[in-house]
Amino acid sequence: MDDPSGPRFVRVGRDTGTTAVQPVRTSVAISFGSPATESGVTRLDLNDIFIKNPQATYMMRVAGTAMRDAGIDDGDIVLVDRAISPAHGHIVIAVVDQEFMCRRLVMQGGAFSLCATDPAVAAVHPREGEEFQLWGVVTTAMKSLRV
Amino acid sequence: MFALVDVNNMYVSCERVFKPSLIGRPVVVLSSNDGACIARSNEAKDLGVKMAQPWFEVRHLERTAGLIAQSANFELYGDMSSRMMALAAEYAPRQEIYSIDECFLDFEGVRGDLVDTGRHLRATVLQCTGLPTSVGFGPTKTLAKLANHVAKTEDRKPGTYPAHVARVCNFGNMSARELDDILGRTAVNSVWGVGPKTTARLNEGNIRTVRDLINADVATLRRQFNVLLEKTVLELRGTSCVEVDDAPAPNQQIMASRSFGEPATDLTALSEIVSGFTTRVAAKLRAQHSLAAAVRVFITTSPHRRQDAQHSPSVTMPLARPTSDTRALTAAALRALEGMFRPGHNYVKAGVMLMDLRDEGQAQGELDLFAEPGGPSEPATGAEATNARLMGAVDALNLRFGLGSVGLASGLQREQGAGRHAARQERRSPRYTTRLQEIATVKA
Repeated sequence: MDDPSGPRFVRVGRDTGTTAVQPVRTSVAISFGSPATESGVTRLDLNDIFIKNPQATYMMRVAGTAMRDAGIDDGDIVLVDRAISPAHGHIVIAVVDQEFMCRRLVMQGGAFSLCATDPAVAAVHPREGEEFQLWGVVTTAMKSLRV
Repeated sequence: MFALVDVNNMYVSCERVFKPSLIGRPVVVLSSNDGACIARSNEAKDLGVKMAQPWFEVRHLERTAGLIAQSANFELYGDMSSRMMALAAEYAPRQEIYSIDECFLDFEGVRGDLVDTGRHLRATVLQCTGLPTSVGFGPTKTLAKLANHVAKTEDRKPGTYPAHVARVCNFGNMSARELDDILGRTAVNSVWGVGPKTTARLNEGNIRTVRDLINADVATLRRQFNVLLEKTVLELRGTSCVEVDDAPAPNQQIMASRSFGEPATDLTALSEIVSGFTTRVAAKLRAQHSLAAAVRVFITTSPHRRQDAQHSPSVTMPLARPTSDTRALTAAALRALEGMFRPGHNYVKAGVMLMDLRDEGQAQGELDLFAEPGGPSEPATGAEATNARLMGAVDALNLRFGLGSVGLASGLQREQGAGRHAARQERRSPRYTTRLQEIATVKA
């Protein structure tokens, strides 16, 4: 079922009967003498630099300070890429109690947990029968400085 | 071989991506003007909510069954659609976008197991956008659409068909016997373009299933019905003869879209194309006596030109006052285009889509509380009648001399702006992907 409310750990885009999917986008090396290298010089574009998978990338606003030591603070904007398969150590957006939560994904011996960088904040462990959806992987944190 | 890819319950699925609490609950999306249910989750369908049913008729389910209503959020749906379409486009040499949530892919010349391709496409779209899709394959578009219906039905109501056709169904790799069995279990009104009236008459003639229709005598059908039904039967038998442009229009939206032979790189060329599309869809809109309250424009580069910088933006422009006026619609479409166009890209496809449709009659007598004072494109009621006559004349000329004979000078188009303020929508979700102030919040 598409409904990711089953009583188990679900990965982003889990789809029964299908193996994990890598995004089909691939980078292409430009050969020598390609006219693209001669004429295609444009101003650097932040979209190209920070967004690898534009169709899978979303912005979210951070509320809270539990991830401050990962460089993610209250009010920051994060870029969330759903095309990346979550792995140990990634900062992820998880759905906990039907709300988005930003945490570090810790995978130890087949068990998963979501850890804040603030030691005072308890880690979230999926319990038996609890839902634990990973929505996407945070690739970039943006903060506006006062000017 | 063709594939038809479409998003299950598109509008509801978009809402669920950003509001996980809606998952597993009965949800409907209401049209912004009259509060009719224009999208239903499977749970809402199971409660008996009908398509286009007015909200007041099902409102009691809010208390008794936890039904949740959201107002339509066309900016969100438009952006999610362009993401899904761009991902799907990578899988086949040719893509034809049919509606906001459906596209045909043409796999001509592609080898390999198409069911695997379909599952891969489905998983990629689900992972990258959160939107669940169904994929149907068939040797004609009508068969691909029917295979899609079978894939979706078996996913929603397991046991209707063999389990292996759920979500992805390929009519092309089935034994004749299995295909015949499936067609014999499928009602004739599931066929693309066979509406309620035709269905009733077919049933009178004892044609109830798709199998019955395929086996019917084509000459008799042509006499009793029309050439369109004959074409449909030919398509069901495996002969391609329907173009997307001639195909029945999808519900609640009108669109024109095309790939160009030569890539377009400058705004002028794209403006001409987009103006032409808008003229076409506006004529269709007036022919069905409807008004549109939102215009969506998209342009895309080709994912198959790997050396090119890729850009496939789409913009949805809400209109302060629903209209069928070509000038107002074109002005909105061109503003959308100008906002998203980036120099230095080879655009190969564009499309214009009219959304948030309503009957002409419904708009009359509405007070426009949200119009910009003295704002353009919001003609007073007196001017409306003149515009209707002008547009009627434009349509008549185009009908007589061919579409595109009479267009609008772009100078005129640009004087008309589109309204900035969308109608008030109490239950509308934030525009998570198109407005910085409305992006989702994540707890940290």
